[in-house]
Amino acid sequence: MKPVLKNGIAILSPQGFIDGNNVAALLSIDDVEAILNLKTDMVLVSLKKVIFFNKNGLDSFINLFKKIQKKNNATVGFCDYDTNKYKAIKKFFEDEIYFSLFKTQEIAHLFSSSYKDQNKTILIYSNDNSQRSAIAIELHNNGHNPIVAQSKEEYEKKHSDYEHTIDSTFLGQMGQKIAMRVTGNAIIYTISDFLDVEINENFNMEYHNNSLNVGFRLFIFDAYKVIAMNVHALNFFSKLSSSAAEYNASICFTGMSFIKTPKEFKETLEDSGILFYNELDDILLDKKLLEELGASSAANIKNKRVLNKKNVAELPRFIDAAVSTIEMMTNAKAVKESAEIHNLEIKDKADKIASSIGYYGDIDGMIILVFPRGIAKKACELLIGENTDDSELILDTLAELVNIVGGNIKTLLSNENVSVNITLPRTYKDIDSLLEVVDGRKGVQVNLSFDDNKFLFFLTR
Amino acid sequence: MITKNEINNFIEKIPPVPEKLKKTLSLLNSGELTHAAKVAESDLALKSYLRDIVNKPIYGFKNEVSAISQIFGILGVSLSQQTVYNYMITLLNPDKWFLFKLDSKTFFELQVQLSKKWETILKHLNINDKDINGAITLLPSSIIIAEALFCQKIDEVTLLKNTKSLDYNTILTRLCGIGLFDICEQIAKKWNMDEVVPQIIQSASGLKPSEDENINKLGKWMHLLLFYELSQPQFLKAQLNDFVDFQIEYVNDIYSEFASLMEIK
Repeated sequence: MKPVLKNGIAILSPQGFIDGNNVAALLSIDDVEAILNLKTDMVLVSLKKVIFFNKNGLDSFINLFKKIQKKNNATVGFCDYDTNKYKAIKKFFEDEIYFSLFKTQEIAHLFSSSYKDQNKTILIYSNDNSQRSAIAIELHNNGHNPIVAQSKEEYEKKHSDYEHTIDSTFLGQMGQKIAMRVTGNAIIYTISDFLDVEINENFNMEYHNNSLNVGFRLFIFDAYKVIAMNVHALNFFSKLSSSAAEYNASICFTGMSFIKTPKEFKETLEDSGILFYNELDDILLDKKLLEELGASSAANIKNKRVLNKKNVAELPRFIDAAVSTIEMMTNAKAVKESAEIHNLEIKDKADKIASSIGYYGDIDGMIILVFPRGIAKKACELLIGENTDDSELILDTLAELVNIVGGNIKTLLSNENVSVNITLPRTYKDIDSLLEVVDGRKGVQVNLSFDDNKFLFFLTR
Repeated sequence: MITKNEINNFIEKIPPVPEKLKKTLSLLNSGELTHAAKVAESDLALKSYLRDIVNKPIYGFKNEVSAISQIFGILGVSLSQQTVYNYMITLLNPDKWFLFKLDSKTFFELQVQLSKKWETILKHLNINDKDINGAITLLPSSIIIAEALFCQKIDEVTLLKNTKSLDYNTILTRLCGIGLFDICEQIAKKWNMDEVVPQIIQSASGLKPSEDENINKLGKWMHLLLFYELSQPQFLKAQLNDFVDFQIEYVNDIYSEFASLMEIK
């Protein structure tokens, strides 16, 4: 059983019956290995489609949770259950519950790093006083406004007045790591506690550098939960900011308190180019500021790297991966029209959207896909399950689609013993914002046609 | 990925019921067990299938039963017809399974388990109808259809399943507007199975409840039975567990009765 990643949460979804006899078949050694290698801050087992489970059946998942927490320090637990299942789990494990129980995936999402600072008002109820407080504190730390119902009656009475409500939920040990998410085209890192020399190990520098290369220009460190930083962390952020400047990228800190951190540190960080804001929303809700900080722009690339032989040699595989995925999604056949090396050329910019994804490892580069809106819509229908004109939904789904292309490329390359990782996909609502990123970059441009609709593939570094 | 043409080609390639089987079924239908056995004897593959199935431990015979007349006699009209239908479904089996980690032995085991437990369920529900009894045999054909249509697209489908947890039935329906159970219905029609059979199968998909209360009830029991079996270790290993979506709300009202009948603790 393989997990599906949604909103930065890895979800395992077994179906039917779970007991001691079948759970080993449900969770193979390879599955466990794959889950342990996931870079996510929450791993949950959905019980939505499980009609029966016993303690022996759940024990294997509990062992998996222990391994995940040991290796990744991620939040682990079960979700999507009814009251009977909730009571059963609590009864099975009584005082040994260190994992979490989220009544629904939506509730779990409220606690995840990808849903921070949404300032949601959330009604909560738990008959366990310490849990009531724990849930309220965690939600508050995550940038929401928890309202605690003092009794079940009060909760039921007020339930319908709130968009988000939480009950039958139990918080175990919550993960603490540098979580990463994308909002629009800004990358947000969540940092917490004491920042010291360990930041060098905990921060995925390779990923960060490749995000710069893909065209991300705004990096926000959400430091609301940071207690203090020492000189090692100070040096780390100063260097990070200097290297970002070469890409004309902005690095911002939000919510950082300097009560326990020397005030001079702030000046040093500001001198290195880091900007400070009180709250995340001060940036995210200010469209003009977002533009100024570079969330929609990416001009002045540090170095316009040339496409090398290694990349060109793998080109057929890249094209195959992209074409087969789009063919699968649209159920249409692709015809290759031309392939040339030059700067990205898009003759008709109207009604087109684009997405890019970077890869790094044995080889590195960036793939850009330019879709006529109609094809993007059709390609996304399979994932959404319905026809939609919602531009944001189409762009979000396009990112998922490009993620599939990236995954496909990774698999095809690994078959050739070429190991790469992929970055988060980036989407562009129009061609001008794409051209700002790839302006002046040479690459291989392949023009394809799907049922007479033009589709463009561009490979660059 | 998969087009309506491919589905039509698949349906077209389904072989018609061989003459000997047709005759065996017709004789079984009219209750002529001895004559039916004589016809079945001349089909060596069917003969071997019947012997294998009836000598499985689940049937509980101490001594080996080998004569077809004896087998039909033991099984009776209803179960004999069900077993012949099961054999017919195996005619659709691929030479080699690629999408699912199955082999003919494991598929055979699934057929046996489903059939025996369906018999238990029908006894519990006080239903004695040979067509309803035979309906269960069509259910595993949905697995064969998924294998046939998706076996060339394993990489694409794996990527898709890893991104969104979509089952094969949903993927097919979204791509072509026709699902696995619709194709099962076509098979039933092509093989002249009684019209109640595809109705129960559609209902057992959990997605198209029947307006007929009795058929809907049977569909619920069959849906739950399918997932009970697909949760067994050998079928989990064969990666059958998530080939279609389990509709838990659909079967909630019969679960306690099912659990008690199957002695689930």
